[in-house]
Amino acid sequence: MKLFLTGLLAGLLAATAGKADEMAFTSWGGTTQEAQTKSWAAPFEANSGIKVLQDGPTDYGKLKAMVDAGNVTWDVVDVEMDFAIKAAKDGLLEPIDYSLVPRADLDPRFSNEHAVGSFYYSFVLAWNKSAVTGEPTGWADMFDTKKFPGKRTFYKWSAPGVIEIALLADGVPADKLYPLDLDRAFKKLDTIKSDIVWWGGGAESQQLIASGEAAFGQLWNGRVFALQQDGTDVGVSWNQNLTAADVLVVPKGAKNKGSAMKFLAAASSPTGQAKFAEASGYAPINTKAKAEMPADAVKALPDAHVEGQINLDMNYWAEHRDEIATRWYAWQTK
Amino acid sequence: MQGISFRRSSVAGLPAGSGSALPALLLVGLFFIMPVVALLLRSVTDPEPGLQNYATLFGSGTYVRVFLNTFLVASVVTAVTILVAFPVAWMLAIMPPAMGSIVFGIIVLSMWTNLLTRTYAWMVLLQRTGVINRALMGLGIIHEPLPLINNLAGVTIGMVYIMLPFMILPLVGTLRAIDPMTLRAAALCGASPFEAFRRILLPLSLPGVAAGGLMVFVMSLGYFVTPALLGGTSNMMLAEMIAQTVQSLLNWGLGSAAAFVLLVVTMALYAIQLRLVGARRAGGGI
Repeated sequence: MKLFLTGLLAGLLAATAGKADEMAFTSWGGTTQEAQTKSWAAPFEANSGIKVLQDGPTDYGKLKAMVDAGNVTWDVVDVEMDFAIKAAKDGLLEPIDYSLVPRADLDPRFSNEHAVGSFYYSFVLAWNKSAVTGEPTGWADMFDTKKFPGKRTFYKWSAPGVIEIALLADGVPADKLYPLDLDRAFKKLDTIKSDIVWWGGGAESQQLIASGEAAFGQLWNGRVFALQQDGTDVGVSWNQNLTAADVLVVPKGAKNKGSAMKFLAAASSPTGQAKFAEASGYAPINTKAKAEMPADAVKALPDAHVEGQINLDMNYWAEHRDEIATRWYAWQTK
Repeated sequence: MQGISFRRSSVAGLPAGSGSALPALLLVGLFFIMPVVALLLRSVTDPEPGLQNYATLFGSGTYVRVFLNTFLVASVVTAVTILVAFPVAWMLAIMPPAMGSIVFGIIVLSMWTNLLTRTYAWMVLLQRTGVINRALMGLGIIHEPLPLINNLAGVTIGMVYIMLPFMILPLVGTLRAIDPMTLRAAALCGASPFEAFRRILLPLSLPGVAAGGLMVFVMSLGYFVTPALLGGTSNMMLAEMIAQTVQSLLNWGLGSAAAFVLLVVTMALYAIQLRLVGARRAGGGI
């Protein structure tokens, strides 16, 4: 309801076309956007006097429609990084004004000319302890239905992650992942296809694991963190955890570009990043942020598991997005 | 049928009351015809003029598979809905009116609950660790959970449940219009109850079955939420595929082409049904 009302407000805002003291921020809803509102938008409003309207969920089709129609009602949008790289190429994004957004401390992996990092996360192997006997230790175990029977859950959409996991499980060394051998990946995935339950969103992944509907899963580390906070008995393996990132972008023709840049500066600041990371379990993209976080919160971050950590190649994905998606859905619907 | 005959009375070839239909026609023109035309244009101009989107569509095994699957699911859902709805509609038709309206209320009540909530409720009931499987296993009837979700069974159960009112409503109308004396006459002539059903009730109720069936079928073709949540990827339906194509891959041309093909096929089916059942009867009973 609240989201609907803010959406309505954002719509009204569009009708009155960009007042100087307001801007619209769009993200994915749920616990993530709540944390962003609390850690970024609220302090930003207090400091700048600029009101931040919340909208969502992020919808790439809508973003493109707004830019195409020349009526952009979103000023800052949280998107996946591979999408941001492709969208920048397609001319859908404003360049970031780094004279307003301090760049020196930003992790260079997650920021570029058209995007400032929002947070980064890892895909980890999580399991419901009451549904699994023994302890899975790596991605290969998700493909071993003899040793570890039960349903496994993977991310449903064509996106960085599952293909890489299949290749790693099949014995491809981490530094030889790219270019992706799709034939080999789908052949490996074929071996467990009937045991896969797909999750389409974070809440669904949590529900599947918590209920034991799926015994194991490839989950976002923040969602596992939230399950553990709730007292669910889940195990997690960080072995070969795969990092990917969300970034903040400004759609081309955004009406409150100036405010948007100021918001980006606040969101990517050490304090903004530290607060968000503490609330969500996702990692900060500002290298100074960890110094402002309590020690036990730092321990829950992907940063604490850099050994064997693999960075999903967002540039590769941005370039091959359509081609992989075509293969992905052809395989999935078969 | 007599009750609706005034609809077809005409003045100078136009149905009575055509003038007052003008606002409705304008509305349809503005909010339906125009978007459809825009959709068609987009499918042949985005990203460049030509028929390449349609070539991709029919050349891709994925889309063809999803198309066929969409029609398969819609057919199964329609058939099951008719089977389940018929006895309910018959019961409603012969019930005393006071009781009938209570049962009617219960059926319609389900339509007032949020679709997403109802679909999630089905997830809780149907999943491996769900209520139904736990109960059956607890009773010792089964030892392995039944696969009731993430497959065709899940989609069918969830969608039949949603479609039932749309089938029951037109059927009740048709069944109520059947003169009960015809059944008594059949019995008097020595027909068994089954014979009476097969030769009297069923043929007379066909217009209602056809009207409801078509509505359910067409609605099922475009369904999104329920198949996405209760189905597996191997029975992905077209609406979900179009959403992916447009929202995530930003391929609006291809998405428009797929939507347009679905629309054309649906209209063709409607036209065929009009020919088979006759325009009057296809619209009758609603």
